[in-house]
Amino acid sequence: MANLWWIKTLLWRSKTKVLPLPLQNYLAAITPVLNQRFIDAPLMAIDLEMTGLDPKNDQVISIGLVPIVKGEIPLAKAQHLMIAISGSVGHSATVHGIVDHQLHTALTLPEAMSWFLSQTEGHILIAHHAPLDIQFIQQQLVRCFGHSIPLVFIDTLAIEKKRRLQQQDILQQGSLRLGASRARYHLPVYSAHNALVDALSCAELLLAQVAAMGDVKKLTVKKLIDVIG
Amino acid sequence: MDASELQPVEQFLAAHSPFDSLPAEVISRCAKNITVGYYSKASAFVEFDTQNPKLYIVRSGAFEVRDPEGILVDRVAEGECFGFSTLLSGEKVVNKVAILEDGLVYHLPQAIFAQLRAEQRSFDQFFARAFAKRLRNEGRFKAKDLTTTSRITSIMCAKPIIVQAHDSVIDAAKIMRDHRVSSVLVIDNDKLVGILTDRDLRNRIIAEGLDVNTLVSQAMTVSPITTHANALVFETMLTMSEHNIHHLPVVDGSKAIGMITSTDILRAQRSQPLLLIGEIGRQANIDSLIQVSKQIPLLLQNLISADARAEEIGRVLTSVTDALTRRLIELNQQILGKAPMAFCWLAFGSQGRQDQVACSDQDNGLLLAHEPDELAAAYFEALTQAVCKGLDQCGYVYCPGDIMAQNPKWRLPLNQWKSLFKHWVLTPEPKALMHASIFFDMRAVFGPMSLFSELQDDVLASTKDNDIFLAGMAGNSLTESPPLGFFRKFVLERDGSEVKGMDLKHKGSALINDIARVYALSAGIKEVNTAKRIRVLMEANIINRKDALNLADAHEFIAHMRLANQGYQVTNNLPVNNFLKPQHLSSLLRHQLRDAFKVVHDAQAGIKLKFLRSF
Repeated sequence: MANLWWIKTLLWRSKTKVLPLPLQNYLAAITPVLNQRFIDAPLMAIDLEMTGLDPKNDQVISIGLVPIVKGEIPLAKAQHLMIAISGSVGHSATVHGIVDHQLHTALTLPEAMSWFLSQTEGHILIAHHAPLDIQFIQQQLVRCFGHSIPLVFIDTLAIEKKRRLQQQDILQQGSLRLGASRARYHLPVYSAHNALVDALSCAELLLAQVAAMGDVKKLTVKKLIDVIG
Repeated sequence: MDASELQPVEQFLAAHSPFDSLPAEVISRCAKNITVGYYSKASAFVEFDTQNPKLYIVRSGAFEVRDPEGILVDRVAEGECFGFSTLLSGEKVVNKVAILEDGLVYHLPQAIFAQLRAEQRSFDQFFARAFAKRLRNEGRFKAKDLTTTSRITSIMCAKPIIVQAHDSVIDAAKIMRDHRVSSVLVIDNDKLVGILTDRDLRNRIIAEGLDVNTLVSQAMTVSPITTHANALVFETMLTMSEHNIHHLPVVDGSKAIGMITSTDILRAQRSQPLLLIGEIGRQANIDSLIQVSKQIPLLLQNLISADARAEEIGRVLTSVTDALTRRLIELNQQILGKAPMAFCWLAFGSQGRQDQVACSDQDNGLLLAHEPDELAAAYFEALTQAVCKGLDQCGYVYCPGDIMAQNPKWRLPLNQWKSLFKHWVLTPEPKALMHASIFFDMRAVFGPMSLFSELQDDVLASTKDNDIFLAGMAGNSLTESPPLGFFRKFVLERDGSEVKGMDLKHKGSALINDIARVYALSAGIKEVNTAKRIRVLMEANIINRKDALNLADAHEFIAHMRLANQGYQVTNNLPVNNFLKPQHLSSLLRHQLRDAFKVVHDAQAGIKLKFLRSF
């Protein structure tokens, strides 16, 4: 978890650049959130389904968004979006179950990224193994706007790793995966996997982790956040 | 951008009462209006938002509802709800909800809750009933009327006979003939679309002079009235009489899962214990008695499904066994003639203790007033053989250890029984005692009480305050210990798939029976039923009140789990045994079971201290 000063520095440095308006607004909206209490801060769990693991060459197929408001998850605000990609879904279909014909209703990448920015503006992003999803988002921003911006996020995997090491656990291979982490907090097993369900899983895990840390009311987000410039 | 894919949430709701009876689109509406929260033991109690009361649906974890005085009102685990009292009564939240195990909870807003109650009758009924149940909390130990509380799943036919809508009526009629049923369910695309009865065939086909190749869909009753799996027998009876029908398909959503007929209900009522015992007493010959005894497994199923207390179930089933035994003796005496002397039929072990369950074997003996001559010996040999054989045919199989009245070893005059017990008491050899322990749980089922009392008084006089004997018995009762380590292991392997199961009999109930027996013999108490022994021991201040109540609760709980497990095994066509698979347990039950075993463990330590310290 990065130091608040460093996060602010990165954000400030970007603000001095000439950026398209949506990105400028996005940066301006996140700054006041950094000092808030966890219970007050707007948070948004995200999960991406991709054609592969390489941000430079692979594409995003779908995005799931699940917000946390006042320490609870309002399912009414959960959203799931498909993105039209060039080429076929190919082998990754076996992983996330999205097949080409489902992508008919999908948005184009620029439409999808505008939607993403509008929905997550002023929110701290949450993801499990967040750097991967964050880098994918940033790469898509470059494709659409010609620029990327630093994104502030909470990584539930990093939190879990830290917590487990504090308990002097030896980390077994695979023990930090989303499912394995959830099991330690008595969270249910979900058989379905898509961007929406995984974003929900991640949001629930964060609630459980935070509850286990002690007094939720006193917790501030700066203890949890990280940034990639 | 739609949230219709909140599949895990919808699936969960659809699998639990009362949401399981709601149509899919209503469940989906619920899911969309839910907020998800997580509650950790670290915060001890659930904090309620007094401005916005909600229904709390437990997704995982375990909770305890306590009233302002701290008295336990309800325990809530996965798939169950709390917070409904406030929603229904409109009064302020007064109960406290303690968090026993961390978990995820779905919050359903008041507005949606009210909407569902207004729209869906089954939903409204469910909570009205749950609320009423809480209000009469103290009534929960009262015996329940089976028809009002048992669920139809226990008596319905789980594999309904079905035909397709596009079958011809002649094919349907053949299926009905082959299965000897008067009605079939009509399915189209896996969905229940109708019901076809004898009456439909008569009125709509034969009377109309239609061709036998007419399609079932033209003859059937379309969109029949149905009931759901959680309906009570009582409600089903109401539905049938309201609509004057005798066949009700049981559905889960639009899928047919069973069929219930008025005959099923009649049969279920016939197996009520009093009626059954009455029927046993009326049978005039052994064959018809065997026929009647076939209802016993159904009686057990009904008692389990009515959620009767395990102690009551044991007593009820034992009463039936006693009645059967008595009737068998009487019927055989009609054949063999009057007995040449007074005698008592003794029941040992579980029948003696009145805690019989499914698939009990026989443990019995015969107590004769005095030494028989040759003629009398032959008479009792014939009588006992006939009675034991009759019991075997009624489902109480021959005792594998041959502890039966038909074995001359256990068919003795009073003086020989006395010296046999004296031998066990005076030379308490551990191995011999282990086999003998069931004899100390004896009860006379037939014959003059005075004869039996003479034996029992003599035995108790010799065991009372007999330190050496009691130490031997105590030592025996400590050879097995409750499976507490099991839970530690279970916590590690949360799914428990590698664990075979817990033996609830030998590592649970039997240990408590042993403990109660040692104390009872030490104090010369005549009771043999474990719950009664504990009560008497408490009243006589031999066990302190708190420990006695805990032990009685643990005994009841473990026995209840064992019965519920056997009920589950029977309904799912699994072999019936005493092993409980931990993966079938909710986290709440696991907590309670571990508490119960802890009590047994402590009671064993108490026995050790009291009876073994000088050795």
